[in-house]
Parts: sequence; structure tokens; C-alpha cells
Amino acid sequence: MKEKLKHYRLNQKEYDKICEVLGRPPQGIEWALFSALWSEHCSYKSSKNHLRKFAYRNSSVVDGEGENAGVVDIGYGEKIAFKMESHNHPSFIEPFQGAATGVGGILRDIFTMGARPIALADYLCFGEPQAPRMKSLVKGVVSGISSYGNCVGVPTITGQTEFHSSYNNNILVNAMAVGLITEGQTMARSKAMGPGNWVVYVGAKTGKDGVHGASMASESFDENNDAKKPNVQIGDPFYEKLLIESCLEVLNENLVVAMQDMGAAGLTSSSFEMAARGEVGLDIQLDQVPLRDSSMNPEEILLSESQERMLLICEPSKFPRLQEVFHRWGLDAQKIGEVTKGPQIKLHWKNEILTDIDPRLIVDQAPRYDREFKVWPKSSQAKSENQSEIKKRKNKNLSEQLKLNSQSIELGSKNWIYRQYDQRVGVRTIKDASQAVGFLRMPSDRALAITLGCRPSVMRLDAWLGGLDAVFFPALQMAVKGATALAVTDCLNFGNPEKIEIMSEFVAAVEGIAEASKALDAPVVSGNVSFYNETQGQNITSTPSTGLIGIRHEVDNIPDDFFTQLGCAVYWVRCPFVTGFHSLKGNEKKDNYFTGAIDSGRCAEWIKSLAHLVSQSNIISSRAVGQGGLLETLRRMTLGGIGFEVQSSDLLNMDLTKATQECFYESIFAIEPSLKSKFEKKLQQLQPQSEVEFSLIGWTVPERFKWGTEVDISIDEIKMFHNNSWSQNLELK
Amino acid sequence: MRIGVVRFPGTNCDADVFQMVENSSHEPVWLWHQDRFDVKSVDSVIIPGGFSYGDYLRCGALASRSAVMKSVSEFAEQGRPVLGICNGFQILCESGLLPGVLLRNESVKFIDDWVELSVENGNEYFAKKIPVKKRFCLPIAHGEGRYFAPPEELKKIQDKGQVWLSYVKNPNGSLKDIAGLMNEKKNVFGLMPHPERAMQSWMGGTDGGLFL
Repeated sequence: MKEKLKHYRLNQKEYDKICEVLGRPPQGIEWALFSALWSEHCSYKSSKNHLRKFAYRNSSVVDGEGENAGVVDIGYGEKIAFKMESHNHPSFIEPFQGAATGVGGILRDIFTMGARPIALADYLCFGEPQAPRMKSLVKGVVSGISSYGNCVGVPTITGQTEFHSSYNNNILVNAMAVGLITEGQTMARSKAMGPGNWVVYVGAKTGKDGVHGASMASESFDENNDAKKPNVQIGDPFYEKLLIESCLEVLNENLVVAMQDMGAAGLTSSSFEMAARGEVGLDIQLDQVPLRDSSMNPEEILLSESQERMLLICEPSKFPRLQEVFHRWGLDAQKIGEVTKGPQIKLHWKNEILTDIDPRLIVDQAPRYDREFKVWPKSSQAKSENQSEIKKRKNKNLSEQLKLNSQSIELGSKNWIYRQYDQRVGVRTIKDASQAVGFLRMPSDRALAITLGCRPSVMRLDAWLGGLDAVFFPALQMAVKGATALAVTDCLNFGNPEKIEIMSEFVAAVEGIAEASKALDAPVVSGNVSFYNETQGQNITSTPSTGLIGIRHEVDNIPDDFFTQLGCAVYWVRCPFVTGFHSLKGNEKKDNYFTGAIDSGRCAEWIKSLAHLVSQSNIISSRAVGQGGLLETLRRMTLGGIGFEVQSSDLLNMDLTKATQECFYESIFAIEPSLKSKFEKKLQQLQPQSEVEFSLIGWTVPERFKWGTEVDISIDEIKMFHNNSWSQNLELK
Repeated sequence: MRIGVVRFPGTNCDADVFQMVENSSHEPVWLWHQDRFDVKSVDSVIIPGGFSYGDYLRCGALASRSAVMKSVSEFAEQGRPVLGICNGFQILCESGLLPGVLLRNESVKFIDDWVELSVENGNEYFAKKIPVKKRFCLPIAHGEGRYFAPPEELKKIQDKGQVWLSYVKNPNGSLKDIAGLMNEKKNVFGLMPHPERAMQSWMGGTDGGLFL
């Protein structure tokens, strides 16, 4: 019995609950069903009690409770479906296929809703460059994403990449997909309905790949990672492209009642969830499932995670036309069962009934764990003890600091990654991955903003603050481009939830994200939880990555991340409702710290007001001050080829520590001199009103970066260091 | 003008090119890979980029043997204009409508970037908008864009003035910096860059308009 529980990754208590739910011990294939559907990956058993904190909704959220992705109505008849998902475990074992199938999986979550995928974004966390296998992991993950996304024809327009030792043995690969539903297009549901309707299998044949993948992802790593290789799925983006086109075509022809992709736990979770949502039963003939390997047994068929497969419900009369569409695209559509009044799901294998079970027993009765956690002290005074130590440091040469920044893996160029992604296919891209915020043109001639959030450095400082920041910082990045954040998706990557300190960070981060998103009126509409990011007892930095979408009403004149025009006045604008700062380990060789307070309600109002102001002003360049503080942000802005000269006594007298600390939340704007007074007047009217916190700090100039007598460096030199940082640190050409 | 836009399974710039044609006040018509078409039914043909047949075997190899390409060949033999973009260029080479072949980039990686191009030789179709020596910018996005031809063939191509466009700064190791090519009769054109991605200022450039 012990062996069996271990094989199916269930514990004794869960076994007892299965017996209670069934009224008898599980038999045969039921073991596999419970193993898959009660895995952390499918059931969210450790997180569900806390995910309720994301319940905040506003009128733009399209009702889709329990659907595959969140859908937001952005007006003008346009809806956006988007979601983010992790593929950490498979990517560590087999980086190319792991990352590629991560992209494939999240795309299916989008087009299964009837939305055409229009953008991808990736949030990647790697270990230190010198850690074992790290260079090949970086190479494999990026080429996996590139080969899949490029072939399937969806542009990757933004992303975030982090490096830290806590990811040495457990990298993070999170992919976000964004889809568009235009006016007149049909949104699809995943509720099975209508007894007598057919259950139709579409797409690639089922093979042995990925069997037990869901329960693998719900377990920590040990030294036997290689043995898990057969659990990693293999993807084929060409098939996915055909599926996208054919599925959208049958939806638009109204041939489908419901649709669901076969993701984690494959046919099992898709069929059980569709039936449970629709409160109907299903009769499924497992021997009708198209197989790549005829030796597969029913359990393998049920648990296979072969990629590029969909499950459809269709009326029998519409099946011929449906099949015709799929055939035209070179795909097969096979009837594998029927919808029944239910509530039982019957799985047949040839003439035998393998199980006859009420899906709600498994889906709705899944265990919930109230894992132990400590209430987080939400005071922002945390970790201020290092402050005095840092203050003691002597001023170093600012020029030296600039060069160090440029050469570091954290702050140097990431172009090696983005150059491998097609950023323009679909011809909607206004701002590509060279910019902090990606922008896509909508058919209504407005700009959809997409950006990712969560700064592990802030998470290491304080999980609650990190959660707030995972929403506020990307929202600020959008605001400085004149875009208002509309909604959030998240991908909560944490260590072992059975450990109290990890669970406490999880709860604190969830509360931070919930508070910030509510304050911004940007609901969390979809998400994913990845626990057990732990290898041999070492947990990753808790990393609740986020993806935000926002809207800007004008397509033209979006401020650039770089200085692009000479003679512009450069302003430094500070949010008055946060006092505090943090420094990067990369600069200070020390941990971060934060002092002060954050007023999230007023902070959110200010960010929204700033977005409005920017959309009404002719800003040439803008940037939110990020890692490395003011000095670093201004350096980055010169990478476009136009220089900058400080002309403010505040800055000239500032010590290095301050210039390289990031204050929450600051931004930089460059504007034509003739518009100066108008801009200043608007800044004074920012809501909620408070003491004015902005200053004119300098001007854009040709070719050089000048900061008093200390810094006078050619921007070509800065650029050279910046562009060489990747190959120097990672030895990847 | 009625412009045929060829669609293979896996083509992913098809809708982009269709839209470009429409926005340029021409009439686009789909040409499906399994169907032959009447060569009189269109005035020109564009083969868009993407991953036809998932790049199985070699880029463009399977597409070149499709039914629609038989009609495209007939169309081209009559001296009428055919333009292949990116994967379309690869298909034209695989079909033998253009000489040479496109190999894996020198860096062995996919490249997405904006590049500057220079016009090496002119032709009657693009004489006005794309004259010799003109320079302009377009985006590229390809893993296999390194043009190659054996020395004697390359010499022939150069002697007959078939090199159409060249990269100002070679991104992929292409022979003689070749970015675009013509056949001997100068009615079949292939280029790696994507004109359809540079049609409006918000896209980052408008030089794609030179091609329609």
C-alpha cells in the first residue's frame, strides 16, 4: 500500500478521504484519476483558500468563473483574454522542450476561449551564470521559446529576466499569452452541455509523453531529475498553428458547444472539468482515442500530456462540417464519446467499464489544506537594520559605478534573448521588447499595453511589499507611457508550502497583490500557482510574477524609453505617498533594505492620475526609475544615442548611495522646452493633491553622459559595455 | 490590381500581407495550397513568410511541391510578377524559380531586427519606387536567411544583375550581403526582410510601402 501511495503521489490522509468520498477503496484506474486531479497542480489544494483574496471584480471583467483564462472587456467591442503559467519543473529537466511546451500550453488556454493569440511575454529567472548547467539552461529555454513562438506566429513583445543564486537548482519559466476577441467573434466556453452531444478529440495523437506530469510538478526536486525526463512533453508548434486556425474557424462557424485544451493531466482533467462545470455526465470510449503508440494502456491514455490536443463538444448534426474544417487544415477530428444526463462519467475500454464515477466527487471534493502560516507584519520598517552600514560606505567614482552597472548581468543588455524572438509577426507591434512596456495596436486604433511585474529583489526584502510592488511597479511603467492598467494575471512561484515560512510569504504576497490591484481597480482575473520550487531543501526566492494589460487611447507618440531628441528638459518626478528606497545587491554587495511607509490607496490614485497626465502631454521620452536608481535609469535612457547632462544642484550634491538607490516610485520625463511650464502646471495638479515632488534635473545633449565634474563619459562607451555584458557574463555569443 | 496571396499550412504572415494589400487599395485574393488557380485571375502573386509545413525537411521544400506552386510557376513563366517574402523567398528558391538557397544564419540563431538595405539592380516593376542605389529600412525575422550559391552560379547571378537588394550591414552571413534576388527575366523577386511590417509610422517605419 505504501508503495502504491508513493507511486500515485498521494498521502495517507488523502487516501482516507478518497475512501470516504467513494464509500469504498479506490479501484484500478481510479487511483490514477485521483492522483492527477488531486495533485497540487490541478487542485490548488494548498492555495485555494487564499486565492479567494483575488475576488475583487469590476464591470469590465467578463463573467468566466472557472474558465481557462480571464477575459476583460476593453470597450469598442474588443475583449482581451490573458493568462500566465509556469513551466518551471519541465524546463529545468529539459530546457528546450520544457520552455517550448510552456508556450504551447498557455497559447491553448487562450484560443480555447475563442481568442486569437496576439502576444507572448516571458518571465524568466535563472541562477548565477557560473552555476552548473546554467549557460545551457539559458540557451535551451530561450531557443525553446523562440522556436515555438516564432513558428506558431505569435510575437513575443516583452519580458523580464532575473539572475540570482536562489534559482541555481530551480529556474523559473513563466509564459503569458494575450488573446483578442473582436466584435462579432464568438467567445467559447468549457462547460459540457446537451445530453446526446458528441465528445470530439482533435489534434495530435496521444503518446506516452508527460504521463504523470501534473503530479511531478507538484513535488520537489531530488537528485534523480534525469529519471523524470520521460515525464517532459514534446511540442510541435506547426500542429499548434493548425489547431489555432481550425479551432477559431469552427468557433466562428458556431459548430462547437464547448471546448477545452488537454493540458496538465491531459484527457482526465479536461473531461472531468468540462463535465463538472456543465453538471452533466460523459460516456467516453478510451479505445477510440487516436494513439501514437498502440501499446498504451487506459491509465497512460488518461494521464498522457501529449501536446496540441483539444477536446470539443459538438452537436451530432454539425459534426460533418466540423470534421471538414479540421480536414482542410490537415487535422483529424474523432468522436470519442457522448454527453449524458449524468452525473456519472463512464470510462469504457473496449467492452469493459473501467469506472463509473461522479466527477464532482473528484473535482469539487478535492482536498483543501489550510497550511500553517504566520500573519505578516505589514509595517514597512522591516529590514532597515542595514541602513547605517550602507551609509558608511564611501563615495566611489560615479563613472566606475556606471561601468559596473553596464557590465553586470542584471543591468546589462538582454538583447541576446529578444533578438531571437519574432516581435512583429501579426503587424500589431507598436513598442517591442526593447522598451519597458510592450504596446500592440488594437483594431479600434488604440494601444494595448502589456508588461510583466515582480522584482525578486523586493521580494527578498519583504513579501508583502513585494506583492504590492509586483502590481504597482508595472502599473507605474505603464503610467509613464500614458497607459492605464486594466487587469492583472499572476503566476505565483513559491517553494514548499508545507514549510511555514514559505506559506507565510505566500499569504503575504497574495495579500499585497490583492491590495494593489483593488486600489488600482485592475482585478486579478486569472492565474496559476507553482509550489514545490525546492531542490534538496533549498527554496527559491518567492516570486509572484504578474502580467498586466492596460490601455492607451492613442497609438501615436508613445514616449520612448530612450532619449531621442536633443535639447529636451528632463524632469524627475516622485510619488509622494511612498517613502522608502532599496538598493540592489549588484551595486552594494549587500541585501536590500526599505524604510518608510506606503499608502497604497493614494499611491494607486496618483499612478492613475499620472497615466492621464502623460496621455495628455507630448512627452518625448519617459521611464520609471528601476533597479540601480536614478543614475542607472538615466544611463539606460542614453542608450538610444542621445546624451544627458545634469544641471541641478540637488543631484550634483547627491552622494552615490542615494543616486544608486531606487526610491519607490520615481520616474523620468523628457519634454520639449517650449512645453515646460504647461507640464509643470499639470504635475502640480496630479491627484491626490499633495506637496509638489518634482524637479528639472537636466537636459538632453549630444554624445555624452555628464554628471557634474565626476562623470563625463561617452555614450558609445556606455553602450559598448552594455552590449558586451551578456557575452562576458554568460559566454554566449 | 488583383493580388493573389498564397496560403500554406504554417504560413503565419498571410493575414499581415493580405491586410497590407488591402490597405494599399489593391484587391487581395487567397490562393490555397491544395488548389491550382487560373493564371489569368490575378495580376500578381505574393508568397508571404512563416513556417510553411512547419519547416519540415527544409524551409520551403514541401511547399515547393504543392499544387498551388505549379500554378505560380506557370504564372511566372508568362513573365508576370511574383514576390516571395522570407519563407516565400525560400519557397521560390526551392521551386527553382530563383537560383541558390537560404541556409541557417551564421549565428545559428533566429534574428529579429531592423536592417538597412541598398538597391543593387533595378527592374521595371519597381523602377519608380525602388531605384538603384536607394537605401531604406525594413525588419527581418528569420532563422534561415543566409543566401548561398556555388561560385559559378553566383558569378552568373552577379553578371546578369540579378542581385536586387543587399544588407548595408550583413546580419546573417549571407553571400555578397544578398538580402533580395531576382530571376533572369526579372519578374520573380525574393527578399528576406518583411515589407508588410513597415507600412505605418506606428510600426516603426513606412518603407514597406515601396513594394506595393
